[in-house]
Amino acid sequence: MKVVCDRSALLDALTLAQGVTAARTPQPALQCVRLSATPGSLAVAATDLEIALRIGLAQVDVKQEGDAVIPADKLLQIVRASEDATLTIETAKTTMHIRGADSHFKVYGPEVKDFPALPGPAEKGPTCEIPAGSLRRLITRTIFATAVENSRFAINGVLFDRQGRKLRLVATDGRRLALAKGECGSGEGEHRCIVPTKALNVLVRLVDDPEAPIQIAADQGRIRFTVGIGEDAAVLTSVLVEGAFPPFEDVIPKDQDKRLAIDAGELSSAVRRAALLTNEESKGVRFSFADRTLTLSSRAPEMGEAEIHLDLDEYQGESMEIGFNPAFVIDALKHVDGGPVTIELKAPNKPGLIKQGQDFTYVLMPVSLP
Amino acid sequence: MSEARTILHVDMDAFFASVEQRDRPELRGKPVLVGGAGRRGVVAAASYEARVFGCRSAMPTGRALRLCPTAIVVRPRFDRYRTLSEQVFAILGRFTDLLEPLSIDEAFLDVTGSRRLHGDGAAIAAAIRRSIRDESGLTASVGVAPNKFLAKLASAIRKPDGMTVVDEAFLRDALPTLPVRRMWGVGPALEARLVAEGVRTFGDLASAAPERLAMIVGGDPAQSLRLARLARGADDRPVEADRTAKSIGHERTFHEDLDDAQAIRAEIVEAIASTARRLRRAELSARCVTIKLRSPDFRTITRSTTLEKPTDRTDLLRAAALSLLERWLEAGPSPLRLVGAALSELVAAPPEPSLFEAEADDRRRAFDAVSDRIATRFGGSGLRPRRST
Repeated sequence: MKVVCDRSALLDALTLAQGVTAARTPQPALQCVRLSATPGSLAVAATDLEIALRIGLAQVDVKQEGDAVIPADKLLQIVRASEDATLTIETAKTTMHIRGADSHFKVYGPEVKDFPALPGPAEKGPTCEIPAGSLRRLITRTIFATAVENSRFAINGVLFDRQGRKLRLVATDGRRLALAKGECGSGEGEHRCIVPTKALNVLVRLVDDPEAPIQIAADQGRIRFTVGIGEDAAVLTSVLVEGAFPPFEDVIPKDQDKRLAIDAGELSSAVRRAALLTNEESKGVRFSFADRTLTLSSRAPEMGEAEIHLDLDEYQGESMEIGFNPAFVIDALKHVDGGPVTIELKAPNKPGLIKQGQDFTYVLMPVSLP
Repeated sequence: MSEARTILHVDMDAFFASVEQRDRPELRGKPVLVGGAGRRGVVAAASYEARVFGCRSAMPTGRALRLCPTAIVVRPRFDRYRTLSEQVFAILGRFTDLLEPLSIDEAFLDVTGSRRLHGDGAAIAAAIRRSIRDESGLTASVGVAPNKFLAKLASAIRKPDGMTVVDEAFLRDALPTLPVRRMWGVGPALEARLVAEGVRTFGDLASAAPERLAMIVGGDPAQSLRLARLARGADDRPVEADRTAKSIGHERTFHEDLDDAQAIRAEIVEAIASTARRLRRAELSARCVTIKLRSPDFRTITRSTTLEKPTDRTDLLRAAALSLLERWLEAGPSPLRLVGAALSELVAAPPEPSLFEAEADDRRRAFDAVSDRIATRFGGSGLRPRRST
């Protein structure tokens, strides 16, 4: 194999591929990338056996076809540190030569056959197409609500629920739940699956052109995202999370009787400030809703107290006090658009709702206040 | 211990009843029973006026009323007792950081390091009793001694509203004459065995030959050695300041061995109901559930399980305990003389339920709350699930 490639395009591809390689594994090949040169293009591939990524590079001049497998982090370091516009990569058996204007690196890799075969195209299953920017927006508006630690609802994935062209993404850690709705450009049938968080984090970073289409195809065990078209396309394949998603529709409150609208940025700033006087033991912020005012208060034992007042344009319903984990409120406000959000409440011990338009719904459990 | 310690045991006098008399002047000087009024109610505390008639805590209210028909029965107000308890503990905390609460109304204090500031043990005890009386309107009895065992023994000697200092003379003259039933760990059964063998006093315990004592006491030989040591007034257990309750347990020994699986299950259900209620009363949640089973030949089996997260819900604790029991039963049930359950890994306050559990959680909590109220009001164990088999 011998190719001359554009360094910055290679750097981007390797950075993404590095995010897929296995962190700790007894199989050295899983910490490698595979380079495959075919006439007119170079593909960079990486896998941890659950997720597989293949990125096509068109900014290459393929002198000789072939394949090579090389430790991802070392190749990435070399390409990142280099200052050349192009690099020449040539392999002889398991040794890779990377040449720049004034440099020559020799790096040893495993045999090409040690690199696992990437999953082929998904079996014929339901497919849809959605603009990359739209999908990215749906993902970023939900993925933050997935569980970080191991808990009962740490499903480590986001639910994709598609009916025809309507696509909903839902994520929850058991304490809060984020639901984002969007529209596909085309879509047939219906499909429901849970996509691992790691795969979606990679997918979000694959999007550079929001207008580019993403094809989604899924079968029983896998989902495949094809970002872009032609030789530049990137293909991300992931196993699906097994098991049932918790019955999320049941926990979205439908009979909230207190309602208000407030500017997302203003509320976010207030919650951030109130959160300054919370600590591990008392991490709740008290939200006191009354006619035309919202008072946020917090108290950290032996440290101090905070109180922040906000004017409300409108508040429908009786006065009420409820405690929320400020981090959970800030998380949601970080991912909505600027402008107003609607808050809907029922009772201090019932979940609260933060909504923006019809497309974003966020449910969060209250916390008990001392 | 190289240096002589000064340990105080502070015990509030008839705490619940005294709080009622404090808050309601019309009850002062009258026999008061705090507890369930119903047919199956139990006395939680009896005022000293009622104790004269023989009324005691843990006695069925009906019996207490037969002993003292003029007694006034008052429903317990645990929140109120907790508030006053906190006030009293705050007072104790002024004298030392080495404060080990034993329950809502008693505590050990190690004031060894406070003597330079506050005077000797007797002076500190007097100051504590004065502060409690002036600030809370309640009275406490205090024992002052070189260790916890003697301090606790001493606080009971002049009750109510008294103080006893354990000195050389006490150790020499009074301690050996105390009856064995005053010994910590000696219940009616062991007392009867000891007395039958002529071991009637602390002095007898201290001087009994170790082998002979071990024979009488039975079980672990370390147990009889400990009794003899305590009987001589020796106890080097430290006052554990950060000790909060480490576990809450309930167990029952049967007159006749229990060998029916269904009856054993019922005992576990009962034990969990009781411990879970105490857990909630203390506003705690538990993560670890243990069952304890003892065979007629005194072999004790314990089985524990750790829950995914702490809870104070009876149903979850019961399910955990029963699944431990089922695993033991699978090996074929054998007769038991004791069945018990304990909750440990205690943490403050129940965790917030998840979104998906919130509704079921609300329902179970409402059920537990009703059950607790019923148990408080009528005694007994509150509501139980209907037997399914």
